[in-house]
Amino acid sequence: MRLPLFNSTSLIRLAFPKQCLQYGKPRLWFSTSTQLRQHAEGTDETSITDIEPQQTEQRNLPLVTSRKLQFPSKVAPKQAWLETLEQTEDDIIGIVDLHPEIFGLFPRKCVAYFRIDVLWWNVFWQREYRRVDYRQVKTRAEMPGGGRKPWQQKRTGRARHGSIRSPLWVKGGKSFGPRGPKSHFFMLPDNLRVLGLRTGLTVKYAQNNLHIVENLHLPSDDPTYLMNLVESKDWGLSVLFVDDTDYIDKNMAIATNEVKQYNVMPVYVWKPMKLFRIDESFLRLSSAAGLNVYSMLKHETLVLTLDALEKIEERLLQHVCNVDYRDKHFSLKAVGPRV
Amino acid sequence: MASVEKALSLLKNLPRVNLGNLKPLPGRRGKKPDRRGQHGGKNRGFGDGANNLPRMGFEGGNVPFYRRMPVEPYYKDHAFRKQYPPLSLLQLQRLVDLGRIDTTEPIDLTTLCNTKVITVNPHLKHYGINLTDEGADIFEAKVNIEIQWTNEIAIAAIEKSGGTITTKFYDLQCIDAMVNPLLFFNRGIPIPRCKLPSMDVIEYYSDAKNRGYLADPELIRQARIELAQKMGYNLADPSQDPLYEMLTKRKDPRQIWFGLSPGWVVNLKHKTVLKPNDPELIEYYQS
Repeated sequence: MRLPLFNSTSLIRLAFPKQCLQYGKPRLWFSTSTQLRQHAEGTDETSITDIEPQQTEQRNLPLVTSRKLQFPSKVAPKQAWLETLEQTEDDIIGIVDLHPEIFGLFPRKCVAYFRIDVLWWNVFWQREYRRVDYRQVKTRAEMPGGGRKPWQQKRTGRARHGSIRSPLWVKGGKSFGPRGPKSHFFMLPDNLRVLGLRTGLTVKYAQNNLHIVENLHLPSDDPTYLMNLVESKDWGLSVLFVDDTDYIDKNMAIATNEVKQYNVMPVYVWKPMKLFRIDESFLRLSSAAGLNVYSMLKHETLVLTLDALEKIEERLLQHVCNVDYRDKHFSLKAVGPRV
Repeated sequence: MASVEKALSLLKNLPRVNLGNLKPLPGRRGKKPDRRGQHGGKNRGFGDGANNLPRMGFEGGNVPFYRRMPVEPYYKDHAFRKQYPPLSLLQLQRLVDLGRIDTTEPIDLTTLCNTKVITVNPHLKHYGINLTDEGADIFEAKVNIEIQWTNEIAIAAIEKSGGTITTKFYDLQCIDAMVNPLLFFNRGIPIPRCKLPSMDVIEYYSDAKNRGYLADPELIRQARIELAQKMGYNLADPSQDPLYEMLTKRKDPRQIWFGLSPGWVVNLKHKTVLKPNDPELIEYYQS
């Protein structure tokens, strides 16, 4: 269960009573990655809980209590806990500020505000623009036969017909049927796409399904560790992890590769990537897409890293708040030189 | 921006927004269907659509409300309803005073009809006589009367003066026989077995408050006391009365005359009474 968020840093004592008592005493909160790796590989005989705190590595808590926001708003910033994936207990390590223009839109039926229908438009667009309709039926010209007049025009007592492939006939040609591969590609306007991302993030935040983590490092590549972690945090059935890079921690890649409902995604990619090894500890992502509305809503929980958070805010605020960027279509360069 | 917080907190308690519960804004989307063919276009043949509306007040073929005849259901099924010609207590007292009725014998429908003052016609669905309460304050005859319909005040007037009253049902065949017994006996047919009351009046004749002939005698005795207390008169003890036997005389439910049983044939010419011997007939006519 999560505690309510407070704006004041002094109230963090409520959230970290144990840590605050031991503030003067240095204490280890994170094991070294080598220890954990040894443990995961079985070379270390001690379990994770048995690792003794060492004086060599220490972190003062809380790690993060505020963050410098670009384009600061008059509205007070939203706040979220900063968590870590490296341990299942005492996993809250700070508080981060979130930009209210991204994570706290005003919900009302108005342009450029929180709207459920904007989410619908984005999902509709993502489903639709890639759709190609391959259905094709034959017209009367393409049907075989039908050149001969089936019976004479007059004096038979029957209706007058000129071809057995007329659209009126059973087994006749089809008029105005679907014809050939037809593209449904269209681009949703930029503003609607940006607004969709902002709305999605707002919804996820308002419904307590958005979580900020320090990074995506896992101590073990065992999928059960990740599943237990998600269960202890009550993150639901499906989780989408988002980082700002298209390469991730090896343990994370292996663990999420085993579990279908856990997926990793970069904030933005320029081209599709294949999963391949670039380092001992990092793997490329195979994802062809960056963070998008469809994936956000498909997963129950959205987990952002700090770097991803920075990137998302930077890119979206550029659209929302930067006047130069917003009015680029009307700039001299876009319009062209005057003659 | 407290309103933002309030709105988002509402959203927090709603179901999770997911791919399944998204909706566009209400309104028509997509293409209209192609209207093709000879009459498929926008133009209609004759005027615009408003001219083809039915006239005001048209009810799709029904007779409209301004031409409809009012329905008055008060006389519905009047030909089948049971009729009870009235006889007031004043008339009854007058008949007694003029010597047209002998009060030393029980009074029934035949007695009343023999006065030739009251007309009962079974062809007009007359199921007997209704004893009304007019003249209840002057009624003083001590009678044992059997009537087909009456009310509470008339019962109280009879019982206050020391008499007894019974309500009994007769079917139309019995009424026909009782209205003119001479005519009936000349027909030479057996005395009919009185039928039980029909469903609409069986409650009335089973109720002790109406002194129904199908009610429990013990309940009738209690009802007499209750009515005396309600109306405020002293009920005389009938067992001390010298006319006790006459006052407590009652017919069998299947019987229509004292001394004669159903199934018997009265021969006036030879002054004999023929009784059935066939066991089937005996079983049929027995009460």
